[in-house]
Amino acid sequence: MRTTPTAPRPAVRRLAFGIGTIALLATLAACNREQRRFRESPPSTSPSAVRVSALQPGTVQDTAHAPGPYDDVAYHVSEGQRLFGWYNCAGCHANGGGGMGPPLMDEKWIYGSAPEQIFNTIVQGRPNGMPSFAGKIPTPQVWELVAYVRSLSAQNSTGARSARSDHMMMYPGSGSLQDATTPVKSFHPPAAEMP
Amino acid sequence: MMLVDGLRGALNQSALEPAGPQAATVAHLWWFAFIVASAVYLATMGALWWAARRARRREERGEVLDEALAEPRMTRGVTWATAATIVILLVFLVTDLSVGRTLSPVPSKRPLTIEVTGHQWWWEVAYADTSPHGRFTTANEIHVPTGRPVLFVLNSQDVIHSIWVPNLAGKKDLIPGYTQSWWFQADTAGLYRGQCAEFCGLQHAKMAFQVVAESPDRFARWVSLQQQPAMSSTDSTASRGREVFLTGPCAMCHSIEGTSAGSHAGPDLTHLASRRTIAAGTLPNTRGALAGWIVDPQRIKPGANMPPNQLEPKDLDALLTYLQSLK
Amino acid sequence: MARCRPVVSRRSVRAVTSVARIRVVVTVAAGVLAGACTREGKPEPPRREAASALPPSAAPRASAVLDAEDGQWTMPMKSYNGIRYSQLAQITAANVKDLRPAWTFSMSVLRGHEEPPIVANNTMYVLTPFPNILYALDLDGNKKWQYEPNPQAEAQGVACCDVVNRGPSFADGKIVFNTLDNHVVAVDAASGKEVWKTKVGDINIGETMTMAPLVVNGKVLVGNSGGEMGVRGWLKALDLASGRVLWTAYSTGPDSDVKIGARFKAFYPKDRGKDLGVNTWQGEQWKIGGGNVWGWVTYDPAANLVYYGTANPGPWNPDQRPGDNKWTSTLFARDPNTGEAVWAYQLSPHDLHDYDGVNESVLIDVPWKGQTRKALIRADRNGYVYLIDRTTGEVLSAEPFVYITTSRRVNVSNGSLEYVPGKKPQIGEVVREICPASPGGKDWQPSSFSPRTGLLYIPHQNLCEDEEGVEANYIAGTPYVGMNVRMYAGPGGHRGELTAWDPVAARPAWTINEKFPVWSGTVVTAGDVVFYGTMDGWFKAVDARTGAPLWQYRTGSGIIGQPVTYRGPDGKQYVAVVSGVGGWAGAIVAGGLDPRDSTAALGFAAAMKDLPDATQKGGTLYVFSLP
Repeated sequence: MRTTPTAPRPAVRRLAFGIGTIALLATLAACNREQRRFRESPPSTSPSAVRVSALQPGTVQDTAHAPGPYDDVAYHVSEGQRLFGWYNCAGCHANGGGGMGPPLMDEKWIYGSAPEQIFNTIVQGRPNGMPSFAGKIPTPQVWELVAYVRSLSAQNSTGARSARSDHMMMYPGSGSLQDATTPVKSFHPPAAEMP
Repeated sequence: MMLVDGLRGALNQSALEPAGPQAATVAHLWWFAFIVASAVYLATMGALWWAARRARRREERGEVLDEALAEPRMTRGVTWATAATIVILLVFLVTDLSVGRTLSPVPSKRPLTIEVTGHQWWWEVAYADTSPHGRFTTANEIHVPTGRPVLFVLNSQDVIHSIWVPNLAGKKDLIPGYTQSWWFQADTAGLYRGQCAEFCGLQHAKMAFQVVAESPDRFARWVSLQQQPAMSSTDSTASRGREVFLTGPCAMCHSIEGTSAGSHAGPDLTHLASRRTIAAGTLPNTRGALAGWIVDPQRIKPGANMPPNQLEPKDLDALLTYLQSLK
Repeated sequence: MARCRPVVSRRSVRAVTSVARIRVVVTVAAGVLAGACTREGKPEPPRREAASALPPSAAPRASAVLDAEDGQWTMPMKSYNGIRYSQLAQITAANVKDLRPAWTFSMSVLRGHEEPPIVANNTMYVLTPFPNILYALDLDGNKKWQYEPNPQAEAQGVACCDVVNRGPSFADGKIVFNTLDNHVVAVDAASGKEVWKTKVGDINIGETMTMAPLVVNGKVLVGNSGGEMGVRGWLKALDLASGRVLWTAYSTGPDSDVKIGARFKAFYPKDRGKDLGVNTWQGEQWKIGGGNVWGWVTYDPAANLVYYGTANPGPWNPDQRPGDNKWTSTLFARDPNTGEAVWAYQLSPHDLHDYDGVNESVLIDVPWKGQTRKALIRADRNGYVYLIDRTTGEVLSAEPFVYITTSRRVNVSNGSLEYVPGKKPQIGEVVREICPASPGGKDWQPSSFSPRTGLLYIPHQNLCEDEEGVEANYIAGTPYVGMNVRMYAGPGGHRGELTAWDPVAARPAWTINEKFPVWSGTVVTAGDVVFYGTMDGWFKAVDARTGAPLWQYRTGSGIIGQPVTYRGPDGKQYVAVVSGVGGWAGAIVAGGLDPRDSTAALGFAAAMKDLPDATQKGGTLYVFSLP
């Protein structure tokens, strides 16, 4: 700026400042999305703090759920996706559609869809077949799994979700997890899929 | 200690100290190119110096350049320079092609076949055998017999990696979903450091391995040891460590042949104690390094897929004893 | 694209082009999946038509040994030879159109009902899927008693393909059955009191039990399930009186574990050698290598041998288990008294596509090159109908009954299945058009054989799939599969077929196409009627000679059970079947799966995404009779 012989008019300068600020803010927001927190230990939830039932006797206490520590961090969501395969979650829940276990990409949640509820479901297990992973998966990784599981039903911010899968799973048109909330009634036949 | 080890590793990672015919040919090509290029460089510099000196002398003497004479001289000079460049480039091309031809065919002698799979950020190494029962898997350390060609079948589990052992052969990419082959022969016994040579993510720099070239006898002994399932120690601390391993998070990712641990997410640990390094050539395989790696791997290799593990001190101690018993 | 090629395997072509006399009414799906082909302007595959409805009366015909008809149905297969043929002839092709429900009974469980009701001593016994409740009903449908074994609920989490049970068996005044959590239970048939209950497996390593036990010589033969969980397969014999385990024959491991000894003599050299159950595996993989026994066991009293097949090797991903993986996908003949193997034949060595070998071996006698051979016939998952000499294990013929792309043929001279190299699933690569799909040409659903027509009635599916290998991690008690799968209809666009197979000519006599896989069993009677059910809830009767449809009735839910027929105390012939969709094929309804993920239910949901519109969960026993 200083080297330019003629200074820009004030309006142009204000515009440039505005654009710059927006760009800076966008960059900062993206920072959170991209933040990789390798050495932190997010807290594990204590079972007594998490309700699985919404029904309470007497006056209803606050039932707000805290967000998961990694819900909006793209890196940790994708790490959760990797672990979902490694720890054989996919063996029962497939890539979200279910099989031996219930689907995770629809709007039905037997034991709750809040981050702490999913955390507890993974750690404690559930009596109708969900194994308990307590002492098997370190806490930070459980939270990464929680973030990925929630992304399957589009419960976290769009920016944090994986844009597409590298694997054969979805039909074209519903080809990404972004569309997971849109119930799809008619399907393209598999023959129409891009190779 | 680490520093010394690192230095020693560095000593054994040089394309100019070939330990086999592959690397020797590469080294010859390198020396040839170096000498020719140096000669050309010196000649060019010499000519430049000579021209500059002559021009200054002329100026001092007050001579005036004869335009009529200068033109053909210039043409002659440019022609010679162009011809020399073409000839030298042709020589390079021919040498390069001939080296490529020498190196590419897989040796006709029945080679040893080793499957190497790249992972973020470690190397899975599987030794094929005539019977499936003799096949075994290890990690980050490739043992080869001297004097016998070794054929590698290369694959990748995640992203593109590249295998490079400068003392033994040039590099080759490992591409997911596409099988490549690569071969070398080690003539001189020794320890050679290899390294991933294609940027593959956060810990690319710490994705190393060692090639142990040893006499065929020693190699055969090593193979028969590796084919055994893990030893079951009678030591009570080691048995406790085994329990910690199998009931805790370790068994979610690692396998130990002879136990119920059969996950392939991380390196196979059946004979961990027989290996020289841990964490893909990053740390020496000592009790202290192992403890540090288990408890806080993210300090050593941030972003690596090994999670931090919170273990009771006596459980950690038992686990270390068990892991060190896996000879 | 090439998926739509109207290619039918060599034999089938011959069957199609042979003189067609009567055209079977073809129930084709209204272009639901076929649309993929027609829309692209590809020709539809040739419609299968009835070939000569029956071999001419003079032509040699397969037969079977028949016991005297007692009007009962005491085990799921009715008889040891597994032919599921009733000599009752009150219901005939002429009067079956008058069939109507006599009574129904609610099973109170809404998962897949693969079980048959069984009838003994004027009592009907019917067992539900998990929680495996056993009901005893009189033959008017009144409940006499019920027995609840209360299996562990967690067992549901390790049951690969719905929490089904394939039925109880009646023997010596007891009803014997398996529970999902690995207990074998004997209940007094009269009182409903538990006689003994033996635990034979562990859900924590992924083991479950779904098969129907077979009682032979006072021994209860049972096997385990868990081929998708890295469970080592076995067949055990329990003492019928005490429930004590008498012997265990593993499907993998050293010869001593597999009970291969002095009496063992495999017909083909490829199945001979010492400790093949160890040496054909890398390291100790045989300990988690599958080969489970969850299908049908048949018994030849004359030879005193039982015949059964072992399931797929684990994991599905073949790259992770180099070698032939013996003795998975293998047919065994054993002495039921000692468990010793007499011969074995590996049907699908180093199985690539989850082609279990558990399907029923139906014991028949076949005129073969001038002499009558004691044979067994089996429609295998790998797509071939094998006719095998049951005394030696020699393959007499093996001809495709579905569209096959995964193998070229079965070489009967050396017994090898010749794989097509390009169809092997790879890690990180999608291999397309794998036919038949993982449930195979035919899955567990049992076929029936009529000595009157000499035909085998095979209920089966017509599915292909795409596969992508992924690295499988063995973590005990969790799935060990390593494959992304997506299934779709095979050539023609229909997903199921009922094929009447002529064992002598080794070709189909007639075929009926169904919209959904025919996941129910079949039964055939001396009235020349074949009964089967469809996944959209129709219970059907067709002419055993021509395949002409005779009668159908819409039940409350899809049918995947095994129909039976018996004579009531009033002297009338009854036909019974349980309706209640589920199983692997019906998991999309029974488990409420989301088909937007085409790999749901190991890829089966992709092929069944219109099933939720066609049927609902259910669990009702239907009993039919003539007025």
